[in-house]
Amino acid sequence: MKIEVLKENLKTNLNITERIVGKNLSLPILNNVLITTDNNFLSLVSTDLEIAIKLWILVKIIKNGNIVVPAKFLSAFISSLPNEKITMEVKDQNLYIECKNIKTQIQGYSSEDFPIIPEFKNAEYIELDSKKLCMGLAQIIDIASTSQSRPEISGVYFSFSKNAIKMVATDSFRLGEKNIHLEEPLKNIKEKDYSFILPQKSAREVMNILENKEGLMRIYFSSNQVLFELPMKEAAHPQVQITSRLIEGEYPNYQDIIPTKFKTHVVLKKDEFLNQIKTASLFSGKVNEVKISINKEKQEIEVFAKSGDVGENRSSLPVKVEGDSIDVSFNYKYLIDGLLNIKSSEIIFDISKEEGPCILKPVGDSSYIYVVMPIKSM
Amino acid sequence: MDNHELWQSVLAQMQLNISKANFATWFQNTQIISKEEEKVIISVPNAFSKEWLNNKYYKLILKTIFDQDNSIKGLEFVINPRSLEKKEIKEVKENTESNKIDVEQLKFDEFKVNKETNLNPRYVFENFVVGSFNELAYAAALAVSENVGNTYNPLFIYGGVGLGKTHLIQAIGNKISDGPKKKKVKYISSEKFVSNIISGIRNHNIDVFKASLSSIDVLIIDDIQFLAGKNKTQEEFFHTFNSLYEKNKQIILSSDKPPNAIAELEERLRSRFEGGMIIDISLPDYETRLAILKTKLQEKSLALPEDVLEYIASNVKKNIRELEGALNSLLIYYKTNGNIPNLETTKKLLKNFVFSPFNVASFKKIVETVAKFYNLEEKNIFNPTRRKEVVKPRQIAMFLLREELKYSFPAIARKFGGKDHTTVIYAYKKIQKENEQNNKLTEELNLIKQRVYSG
Repeated sequence: MKIEVLKENLKTNLNITERIVGKNLSLPILNNVLITTDNNFLSLVSTDLEIAIKLWILVKIIKNGNIVVPAKFLSAFISSLPNEKITMEVKDQNLYIECKNIKTQIQGYSSEDFPIIPEFKNAEYIELDSKKLCMGLAQIIDIASTSQSRPEISGVYFSFSKNAIKMVATDSFRLGEKNIHLEEPLKNIKEKDYSFILPQKSAREVMNILENKEGLMRIYFSSNQVLFELPMKEAAHPQVQITSRLIEGEYPNYQDIIPTKFKTHVVLKKDEFLNQIKTASLFSGKVNEVKISINKEKQEIEVFAKSGDVGENRSSLPVKVEGDSIDVSFNYKYLIDGLLNIKSSEIIFDISKEEGPCILKPVGDSSYIYVVMPIKSM
Repeated sequence: MDNHELWQSVLAQMQLNISKANFATWFQNTQIISKEEEKVIISVPNAFSKEWLNNKYYKLILKTIFDQDNSIKGLEFVINPRSLEKKEIKEVKENTESNKIDVEQLKFDEFKVNKETNLNPRYVFENFVVGSFNELAYAAALAVSENVGNTYNPLFIYGGVGLGKTHLIQAIGNKISDGPKKKKVKYISSEKFVSNIISGIRNHNIDVFKASLSSIDVLIIDDIQFLAGKNKTQEEFFHTFNSLYEKNKQIILSSDKPPNAIAELEERLRSRFEGGMIIDISLPDYETRLAILKTKLQEKSLALPEDVLEYIASNVKKNIRELEGALNSLLIYYKTNGNIPNLETTKKLLKNFVFSPFNVASFKKIVETVAKFYNLEEKNIFNPTRRKEVVKPRQIAMFLLREELKYSFPAIARKFGGKDHTTVIYAYKKIQKENEQNNKLTEELNLIKQRVYSG
């Protein structure tokens, strides 16, 4: 193998592939990146056997071939090079790198030992705007449960129908649902709807890698795997492919959780409310409890927190209240998480009943909904 | 040679040919699922293993298998993700530890309950406190969970509110469904059962509901007394019961009274309920109450001084739920004030539990309960009639007034419309004597007493 490539180009792509490379003691080959020439492209592949990332870079190819080299090491080394053209050559399982007046030899391994990335042959796929998906994902991704005790909620649930994509995450204390409405219906989707549960880590990688890249993303389906693919701007060839395993199991019937009847309906200014909760959180003690009192007569909401060690804090703000006056306590972290994910300046805060699920959602935007359970009231 | 042995010989062979790390990564959780004519189907845990085995070791595996079995000409790999189960058990423990701090954080209800069985995983045998009042029920429940369908079928557990019936029957369900045999368990409250049948009738799809019940191995119905008076439901239940019973499927029922005391229960159902094992859970004694308090405290990972616990145990007698309530109010005090309540504060805090107007027996209460128990109107008890169905309750009411409230005989006589006090003495002695001889009456008396004291 012999190629010529621009340093910046190689560096950004190596940074992406090394994201999922960790210390794998049982299978050291996973600490490496596979570099292969592929027609006019150079492909970089890394995997941790849950996710696989495959990238293509346009390079000048002089001779075809491949090599496996330590990913973190190569990435660190390339970063240190001057911003010039790099020549890479493989001889006897060694990678020789030349850049300006620097000459390096890095010991590599045979590509024979590198895991084979599962392929998606004739898989069905859909196309959609990658930015929209990533932005929606960002609003719910942190909600997914980090515990493995219920594997099916440790991921993000995706459901595709003709005109909409639903993404849901929950950790059984709160739940976020994002609806992406599609102006143009998904073309390739058949009568049946697709759905899968993507591990949280994979969802995060998809989001981080594709976040700043515009274009139409393709999602390929198979029974145990899913593939996210983004094409190149310059050529009709994929630029990034992220393959991930899926979580087996049935996602809980989350629709039942979202209450439909409410005792109290409040419309309030997000930023002020958020600030008051943040202030109150300093006084919330070990259980993170802040008490929200909604007063119908005064048309105001009061945020209160008290801790035996610190003291207490009380603040209020005028709001629009419909329904009954009510007191509910929350873990302030869950409230802040929900509020931060809402983009509008005004929010709707609906309370179903004491000790029942409550809803936070933006005013004038039905695409996002955050359901949170209170703390048992005292 | 069966599939298992065949695969073992393949693994033994592969071990020699590849490095330990590779072997551990790629051959973990693999197995032969089936042999079809000339092909062996091998399950692998993920797509990477599939690709790897398919591309790298296909020939070697095929050759090894071919040496053992000449008919095999091909291999097929299928992805079968599992091995999650082992993980779960370990993590659940972790979970309970991390929950310590936010005990009060509420969860979505849907997540607490197992969707398929409707069982709440919190109810298990391990956290069921056994005392003299429930050891028989506990032993029977354990026996049923170990020998499903054959020991006691149906198992009928009855007792007052808040004594752990639901805990016990759910524990049976949890144990069976977690067992190695993968039995299908269904827990259903009788209210749900009734509403399912009603909606089945309305939507003309009652067969669907029936079919869903016919495929299960263990049916658990809570609070069966609510079926009383619902004839259509009883009929459906009767058929379900029979079809399950014939197939030796386990049926577990709970109720607040024994089958023969449930009014408006069809005779054929009653006799079926009585055909298995009927066990009661009565009120816990002092020592058990103390033990229960300690278990609950452990669950909440908190310590209270011994004298406080003893005070609660000796004063809150009604039922276990009440005990938990008392404990909770102490916990709230602890949480808001940051110091552990001492005996004085406990007394103050638990005033409501100890001196609640409801748990003191009174004349009115006893008469009311007796009348209700025997389906009479209160005023009928005072009627000077000699009808048998009134005489007995009246005598029982008199007996209880004497026993529980220590009323004098003339006082009781006055209350019952100026009867002679010797009538009362006769009634008292009669019931007392019968109580010693007739188990059924003892049973009834216990139940009435339970209700008098549990509001």
